Amino acid sequence: MSYVLAKSQNEDIHKAGECGGAVTSIFKYLLDEGLVDGVLAIKPGDDIYDGVPTFITDSEDLIGAAGSYHCAPTMVGNIIQKYLYDKKVAVAVKPCDIRSVDELIKRHKINKDNIYTVGLNCGGTVSPVTGRKMIELFYDVNPDDVESEEIDKGQFIIELKDGTEKGVKIHDLENEGYGRRDNCQRCDVKIPRKANIACGNWGAEDGWTFIEINDEKGQELIDGAKKAGILETKSPADAAVEGRLKVEGIMKKMAKKVQDAKYPNVSEMDEWSRCIGCYACRDVCPICWCYENCELNKDYFRLEANSSPQPIAFQGVRLSHMSFSCVDCGQCDDVCPMDIPVSLIFDKLQKKYYSRTGYVAGVSDDVKPPLYSPEKTEL
Amino acid sequence: MVEIKHTLCPSCSVGCGISIISDADDIDTYPYKRHPVNEGKNCLNGRNSIEIYKNKIAKAVVSNSEADCDKAIESVVQGLKSKDSDKITVICSGNNTNDEIEAIKNFAEAQNYNLIVYADNMDNCDDVASYDDVEAASKVFVIGDILYENPLAGRRIVHAKQNGATIVSNGLTAESVTFNISDECSNLPVGEFLANIKGQLDDSSVIVVNYVDSYGDFAQIVDAAKSANAKILPMYSKPNTKGALNVAGAKSKDEVVEILSNTDVLLVFNDDIADEFDIKSISTVVSFSPCENETTKASQIVVPVRSWLEIEGSFTNAMGTTQEFAPAAEICEDVLSEVEIIEKLQGEL
Repeated sequence: MSYVLAKSQNEDIHKAGECGGAVTSIFKYLLDEGLVDGVLAIKPGDDIYDGVPTFITDSEDLIGAAGSYHCAPTMVGNIIQKYLYDKKVAVAVKPCDIRSVDELIKRHKINKDNIYTVGLNCGGTVSPVTGRKMIELFYDVNPDDVESEEIDKGQFIIELKDGTEKGVKIHDLENEGYGRRDNCQRCDVKIPRKANIACGNWGAEDGWTFIEINDEKGQELIDGAKKAGILETKSPADAAVEGRLKVEGIMKKMAKKVQDAKYPNVSEMDEWSRCIGCYACRDVCPICWCYENCELNKDYFRLEANSSPQPIAFQGVRLSHMSFSCVDCGQCDDVCPMDIPVSLIFDKLQKKYYSRTGYVAGVSDDVKPPLYSPEKTEL
Repeated sequence: MVEIKHTLCPSCSVGCGISIISDADDIDTYPYKRHPVNEGKNCLNGRNSIEIYKNKIAKAVVSNSEADCDKAIESVVQGLKSKDSDKITVICSGNNTNDEIEAIKNFAEAQNYNLIVYADNMDNCDDVASYDDVEAASKVFVIGDILYENPLAGRRIVHAKQNGATIVSNGLTAESVTFNISDECSNLPVGEFLANIKGQLDDSSVIVVNYVDSYGDFAQIVDAAKSANAKILPMYSKPNTKGALNVAGAKSKDEVVEILSNTDVLLVFNDDIADEFDIKSISTVVSFSPCENETTKASQIVVPVRSWLEIEGSFTNAMGTTQEFAPAAEICEDVLSEVEIIEKLQGEL
């Protein structure tokens, strides 16, 4: 592992990027050199609250995907698996994205040799509709007048079209039921270290991106982009490295507090009693890949029309089958029509699994089989 | 190349957004989290609505044989010309967009054909509750199984409960999914249920209904809401039933049966009525449909039309909000839209 500060040598990209445009520049290098077929990135759809995954094949189009979208709770693992398996892909990944990619690589559903993963440090994402509501309520601003948003120094900051900025403490927003998605609040993986490189502004000087190079492929990316003349790098000061680790530490501490508050208070059976058996949580899960072959589709698990769902027959079976692989991406919460905190329940059990086996889905290098435990080996 | 586009869900009248993800080989649904009605949440029916596109009818059918669309339309014109206009009936449905409904209505009126809009024995209401009203209600009275049939409206009832509301539910069966979140449950005839809740209905109440046995039952519900100054939210089974009812009033089931009994040629625009009505005795049934259903199977002429993913248009949802949508999938150029077909028919008659 090593660290660099980097910025784009391309003026337009430098201006459009969140902090120096290094990520967009690396993507441009990969596309222009023909090292990838395309870049999977997020572009605004209806507005800045609507982040839409987009496969970019022309480097001229990258500029439209530059910058960060904190109101874009997207997931790329399943898109790569279903639609881009045979393609050479570069992809921007939040920690939960790379965790899902890692789990899918273990399951041979993504070819590791086919992807470059550019990690983005993540303090959390905000649901788009929640984001708009909280901007109206707490900032007294029409959400349509917001030019961009960022999370920095514990605040959710908006920049208006007239150039002015307004910030509100995330803690205050979350105390009122707004702010980051629930799973993001308790997420303790803030730097995507399984990605080839992890980028962000923590510890960076203004106009520069702080990059943690995690593996050989990551080093090749930086070296290649520099050689192509699109990236400038320099070494970060020791204080910057320490500052970045401090930010990570604070965020993990905050996450632990939320975990301690949430895990004991969730009542699985009460939450599951609202389940309508629509399978949306399973279908959106980036780790569930059996699709129509899923055992839960079999007749003996199927429900009669209009019958009250049996939580154990669906949620309980799925929990025991998948929880140890949960990457806490919160996609299941996002799509549940009944607002069941599915990821909270799964993540709670994942943490128990971790405490017994030391395995964190999508983070640990351990590739032992699911439900492996040392005690079983002894038996 | 993989691409994601936004559209509206066609599976019921809630008015949810849904995205479509597609590449050269596959097409599926994808969450549309920015949509204010459902925030990326879609029910199973909504997600399965992609099957309408996947199972598109490619060829027209005339008397059980495949035909090209022009030939099929020519056969329709011959059939229409051979009958008196009062023996010809047009059914438009909440599956049609607002533009299509206008076009169908104008066509039926210009030709003096009977026009039917059927809304499962329910009708239009001028003043309906919004989803925010449901969430803010102190009492929600549910008639039918909203959580099962219209889950994203059901979600608002769950929110109302979380906000402290009392949920009183009258279902068709003892197994209603809405019962899971209800404080009081019953399986009563509508009149009896309304009599039971009369003392509880007030201006902080909302009645949400998606099933009635008769048009009279629906009228009773509307009257009960009106006299207690309560709000009502009829949830229809199709995405644009509210839009269709804004253009033409609903017919009751009895009225539809009566009209169909005097019909020689029936034109069905993107609806599936064969399970609910006996259409076997009608000499010529023409179905304009994007995909196969029980009505196309019972039709002498089937003309394929573009699905909602291949057209632009608008749907008006149950609470009266009109939302536009644009094509979200590859368009089959060999198949015409309903509006184009109506223009062709009009030109030939």
